[in-house]
Amino acid sequence: MNNNFVKGSWQEILDWAQNKSINMLHYCTGCGAIELPPTMTSRYDMSRFGIGPAATPRQADLLLVTGYLSTKTLRRLIYTYEQMQAPKFVVGFGSCTINGGMYWDSYNTIKQLDKYLPVEMYIAGCMPRPEAILDGLLKLKKMINNGEADGYKRYQDNLEFYHQNQEAVLGEVQRTQ
Amino acid sequence: MRNEKELLQLINAHFNPEAMEIQREQNLSVKLKKEELIQALSFLKSHSYRHLSTISCVDWLEEEEFELVYHLFSYDDLVNISLKTRIAREPGVFQTAKEIWPVAEFYERDIHEFFGVEFKGNDNLEEMILENWQHLPPMRKDFDTREFVNDQYEWRDYNGQKHTD
Amino acid sequence: MDKSTQTEIFFGPNHPGVPGNYGIIYEFEGDTVTSAKANAGHLHRGFEKLMEERLWIKNTALVPRICVEEPDINEMVYAMGFEAIGEIEVPRRADYIRSIILELARIQGHIFSIGGNAAGIGQYTVMHWGTLTRDYILDIFEEITGARVYHIYIRPGGVRQDIEDETFDKILDLMDELENERFPDLEKTLFENPNAQKRWQGKAVITKEEAIEMGATGPVLRANGVPHDLRKMMPYAAYDAVEFEVPTYENGDAWDRIKIARDDMLQSIKIIRQLIQDIPDGPVQTDLGNGLKYKIPKGDAYVKIESKRGEYGYYMVSDGSLKPYRVHVRGASTPLGLYGVREFLPGTRIADVPVWAKSLGICPPEFDR
Repeated sequence: MNNNFVKGSWQEILDWAQNKSINMLHYCTGCGAIELPPTMTSRYDMSRFGIGPAATPRQADLLLVTGYLSTKTLRRLIYTYEQMQAPKFVVGFGSCTINGGMYWDSYNTIKQLDKYLPVEMYIAGCMPRPEAILDGLLKLKKMINNGEADGYKRYQDNLEFYHQNQEAVLGEVQRTQ
Repeated sequence: MRNEKELLQLINAHFNPEAMEIQREQNLSVKLKKEELIQALSFLKSHSYRHLSTISCVDWLEEEEFELVYHLFSYDDLVNISLKTRIAREPGVFQTAKEIWPVAEFYERDIHEFFGVEFKGNDNLEEMILENWQHLPPMRKDFDTREFVNDQYEWRDYNGQKHTD
Repeated sequence: MDKSTQTEIFFGPNHPGVPGNYGIIYEFEGDTVTSAKANAGHLHRGFEKLMEERLWIKNTALVPRICVEEPDINEMVYAMGFEAIGEIEVPRRADYIRSIILELARIQGHIFSIGGNAAGIGQYTVMHWGTLTRDYILDIFEEITGARVYHIYIRPGGVRQDIEDETFDKILDLMDELENERFPDLEKTLFENPNAQKRWQGKAVITKEEAIEMGATGPVLRANGVPHDLRKMMPYAAYDAVEFEVPTYENGDAWDRIKIARDDMLQSIKIIRQLIQDIPDGPVQTDLGNGLKYKIPKGDAYVKIESKRGEYGYYMVSDGSLKPYRVHVRGASTPLGLYGVREFLPGTRIADVPVWAKSLGICPPEFDR
């Protein structure tokens, strides 16, 4: 299936509007989540860039995977990701999503996030400072403006690859509409 | 309020401990046979030791025994007592303490999940922290976690150099 | 009870009303909860197994990640266990510095959890203030240790490096600012607000007998009139050289526990001022030789300290080799999060379930490990 798309002026306007208002799902999956309240409140204010929290997956664009993922959380995260509506983005946060981090020899955490979900970019650190989070999110906004953030299309195109990896770790995963 | 020596005399008068020692100030350690342990728990509870901190389990693989340790504390004497006992590794069965302290049901459920010890009288031993775990109980000494991870997961490829260990 | 009127609902793990990644599955009828159970284990990393695979000194970098809100208590208890089995003496100046770090961690933990409690009833101003005040204390930690959240500063034998006098002056200035400007604002906005009092008075009551049977300690016991504090009952570090009070209340509900958090912070400010005034000179670390070859003789020990939520303990076993043989972590809110949910949550109304979960100080990474 062809992965290119024609960039007309209507698509440019949509990308520009998308990058100016991002709704982030407030799902604290791991220990990196303790640096999210300072980023969202008044000292390192994130809402001046147009990024704000959303409560439910159906109303969110950005899924921030903050830290390590145990297999129990990975199952719920896949349900959450499949409930979000396109266009949607995933950002890996911390070194545990890159190569396992400090828990590289643990029997209960996953080692590479992009085998299970399509990741746009990673923010390195253990844990990243609020200034590093803002730096990463500004780069994400530029990527969205240029039309390079197409993780959700990669997920649709390579569905077999992702489903196979997910089932190798979790066993059976429920798929609904 | 009793001090450490009087407590050791009190326990010695009613039970047959295999070993007793004062480890540090305000800390005692008593090792009992497994037939006497549940009675010792009730006895100490009625003598002001009402706080059960936790129940720990240690796997002595070469001696083929599990060691169960109960940590008790008294708000009157301000002394910590660790009661220890050993059970055989096969079959790994012991009696429950939930008649004395109802919260012990959850500590025993945790030990069952991670070591495989069965507690007779406790019928709520299903899995709580892991999900769909099909292998050996993970905290046993013969479960090698690095080998498990190398089989189950793949490492990231950094320009042809793979993670080695 | 008629099954057709009961519904089962999943509260968490993704919910602004739960403190962390933890779920409660409960059934309710009308507006009241009828039965509940905990859905724990989302944060399990297998710490106890990982600690057996690493050398003694490498675990000091792994251990703070067990409790995310107050990481220094883990480093302190690990160091105390190592020193107890090996019978190692710590210099007096290191004791004073350890106590200062623990009290600063207690203040930042309490102010963050007061903010979390206020967010649970809808007062978002106090949540913003709580996060900002905690940030000022994290700036001091960054100056002393180099990192904001996970410090890796307290280790077996003492602390990693010394503190200079200018930093002590900054700590005293910050204590003055907290006591004279921030806390009076908090009093007027939150504690004298009749809406907050109505949301918290009489809710989530745990009586004295239930608390002692369950093994709950800390604010849960002190809200019932029992003045128990491990810093006075089994003193450790430099707490035998300072004077402070242990505030108690009578009713055992959520309002009393939140007032205890505020009173504990004021007592901590008093303790820090005394410690900085009396601190002796000297070295800050006993020499234990090459870090990669730390060894202690065979033995075991159960050590515990007073965290902001109650008794926090480690049971450590050593077999004389280069790695620990067994380390068992006992979190302060283990009985509350697993057993208390089943026994004491039924009977509350649905809007009060976040008040129950947050005011008891349930911290999921402690019992998931």
